[in-house]
Amino acid sequence: MDARLRRVNKEIADCKNDKTSKITLELVDESPFHLKGAFPGPEGTPYEGGHFEVDIRIPDSYPFQPLKMKFITKVYHPNISSASGAICLDILKDAWSPVLTLKSTLISLQSLLCSPEPNDPQDAEVAKHYMTSRSSFEETARYWTHIYAGGPEAKAAGKARDTPVGAVRDEIAIAGLEKAHVDQFEALGFERTKVIDVLRRLNYRGANVAKITEDRVVEELLKS
Amino acid sequence: MSDFEYSDEEADYFYDDEEEMDTQEDGSAPSDDDMDMETFNDDFRVTGKGKRKSYEVECEPLSKSDVEKLMQQDVDHISGIFGVDDTTASLLLRFMDWNKEKLIEKYMDNASAISISAGISQPSIPSLPPPIRASSLSRGVEKPATRRSVRSAPSVSAKLLTKTKSLEPFVCPICFDDTQSDTMSLSCDHAFCTSCWNAYITSKIREEGEHWIRCMAEGCSLVAPDPFVKSALGTDTATWERFQELLVRHFVSHNRNLKYCPYPECTYTVSCPSAASKSSLASMVPTVTCGASPDHQFCFGCAIESDHRPVICAVASMWLRKCRDDSETANWIKSNTKECNKCQSTIEKNGGCNHMTCKKCKHEFCWVCMGPWSEHGTAWYSCNRYDEKASQDARDSQSKSRASLERYLHYYNRWANHEQSAKLSMELHAKTEKKMEEMQITSALTWIEVQFMKKAVDEVFKCRMTLKWTYAMAYYLEKGNEKELFEDNQRDLEKAVEDLSELLEQPIEADNIPTLRQKVTDKTVYVQKRNEIMLEDTANGFLEGRWTWNGTVEGFD
Repeated sequence: MDARLRRVNKEIADCKNDKTSKITLELVDESPFHLKGAFPGPEGTPYEGGHFEVDIRIPDSYPFQPLKMKFITKVYHPNISSASGAICLDILKDAWSPVLTLKSTLISLQSLLCSPEPNDPQDAEVAKHYMTSRSSFEETARYWTHIYAGGPEAKAAGKARDTPVGAVRDEIAIAGLEKAHVDQFEALGFERTKVIDVLRRLNYRGANVAKITEDRVVEELLKS
Repeated sequence: MSDFEYSDEEADYFYDDEEEMDTQEDGSAPSDDDMDMETFNDDFRVTGKGKRKSYEVECEPLSKSDVEKLMQQDVDHISGIFGVDDTTASLLLRFMDWNKEKLIEKYMDNASAISISAGISQPSIPSLPPPIRASSLSRGVEKPATRRSVRSAPSVSAKLLTKTKSLEPFVCPICFDDTQSDTMSLSCDHAFCTSCWNAYITSKIREEGEHWIRCMAEGCSLVAPDPFVKSALGTDTATWERFQELLVRHFVSHNRNLKYCPYPECTYTVSCPSAASKSSLASMVPTVTCGASPDHQFCFGCAIESDHRPVICAVASMWLRKCRDDSETANWIKSNTKECNKCQSTIEKNGGCNHMTCKKCKHEFCWVCMGPWSEHGTAWYSCNRYDEKASQDARDSQSKSRASLERYLHYYNRWANHEQSAKLSMELHAKTEKKMEEMQITSALTWIEVQFMKKAVDEVFKCRMTLKWTYAMAYYLEKGNEKELFEDNQRDLEKAVEDLSELLEQPIEADNIPTLRQKVTDKTVYVQKRNEIMLEDTANGFLEGRWTWNGTVEGFD
């Protein structure tokens, strides 16, 4: 049997037998070289309670070349692209070693969620948010975990509902949007919640703002 | 004119290209243009060989094995000083990018630290004693375990092909195969099966082009030394050769005196110490040729063009930058705009009447005569003020600002023209070949005797390249006697080239072939001579510091 296939099969089997790590692997299609991995968000972080899915492609020269991984679940994290899910992690690049496995790499991703490296960011906007206001960043990360990863409803959001004055700002901040953008479309006569929802869906942040035309946003607003 | 004498004897035409080339390759260091000259017929030889011309640069083509010899010299030097084996010395040098001085300094300062960084030995962990196993005892000595052993020379002794004879079967942690018994490990004892090592090293070399191959274990920083790589690759000599090529490239790229030949698949290197420093490039154009083929000509100092003589790299790149930025824009500006003669803003008139008001300085003027509008009175649409002094002055100031543009376009057009003509010479080549065939049929001339046509075309191409760059140079030269002399040489060469070009385009008739042949050969020799004068004079000018640049040369170092 082909060494790569043998190894991948064993890795998948090992993962199935291991109940303690809570890491799961499943086939995406017939090929054992395209997988979907998943793990729970680490405790004590804004990602706690979330279920994070990762797209895994196993290159031909695996295990001598690193796995190709990206998040399927949207994650608000300095080293993970909020738009594409691309991951900035050294072991997926030059620090890869052939002794690393699917499981150990997924565990590394899990620990990346615990300890962001804002000085080596994948998503500059998110990293800036992380550096300037940790609490606001964590609020947004928790909100994203709730919305996209099925985590518990963010406490901060619940609190915000009790205080209507702060709620407006918080709603925008935790969606990772800018107030000026929301105001801009609200001024056109759309409901604020609708604007926030559409802008969040379009990922109207950072470099994306320049790419998405106002007409496109209005179109989406009219549709919703 | 004795230099240009032409003899029609058959014997003079006889030469064997191949044989000449062979002797050249065996001989030591042919300087670049001599090579070209060698292949030339005696008839075309203008100056005697041997003496290097001032526009040529001393360089030495090196084959891959020559460079390997240079590398070996460095390795021997280091292993001699440090008392380590060649493999270790090689790894140390590679780690320090072949900077011997820095390596010696660092090694003398802290040998164990650099051995660890260079992946030769493992860092010792003070709290944990090294695992004592029967098989690792012999290697334990090599690891500088304590500070005291700083001076002890580390050596690379990779454990090659160990047959594990223990009772439980070895399961390779990478392929999970328990049927293999051959394992390999570096001195760190991280054992993996031989086929995994092979696949890993092959992938590093082939896919990543990496010569710095770490141990496969996670976090282990030991680097595979050459003998280990070789034995892991086994019979795969192609990959081993690629590995050695990567080493050579690494060495060449960190040596200022060496440059890799940029031609595809060429493995030659050129050594040109005289052009190694940046300052030397201000007074020379290091056009070199690698040993593999006389066509493999390139500039040692830049990647602009293979031969941009006579102009130096910095000026050539400045000119190209200007051309990229300016030429199209400048052409458009020239034909579509005028400048406000008060504030010199460039104005495009895109409709409306001739009463212009400058958006910037609010100056009102007439678009037709460029005179101030106040003098026009009520003559709104019929400008009859052409000869008035005010409009004359306005045009003068305008013409001044236009003059620099005109000047640039003058040089640019000629530069581009020669470039275009040189490109067309590929076509001319094909056409000439046809003519040569024709000649062989219509006249009694043999193949070797009609080669004069091909030589003439080659020469025209070469001279057009020289001419092209002389225009870039002339643009930046300060007005004066020196520039005039330069332009005289340029004119003579240009005229000679145009004459020869014209001759080559002439139709061939059987009865005029001998005269045509005579004429073309004479002209080729003359053109060649003129080209040499041009190159020689410019090169000498650089050496003597004769050329002064005008104000447009900025940031020139």
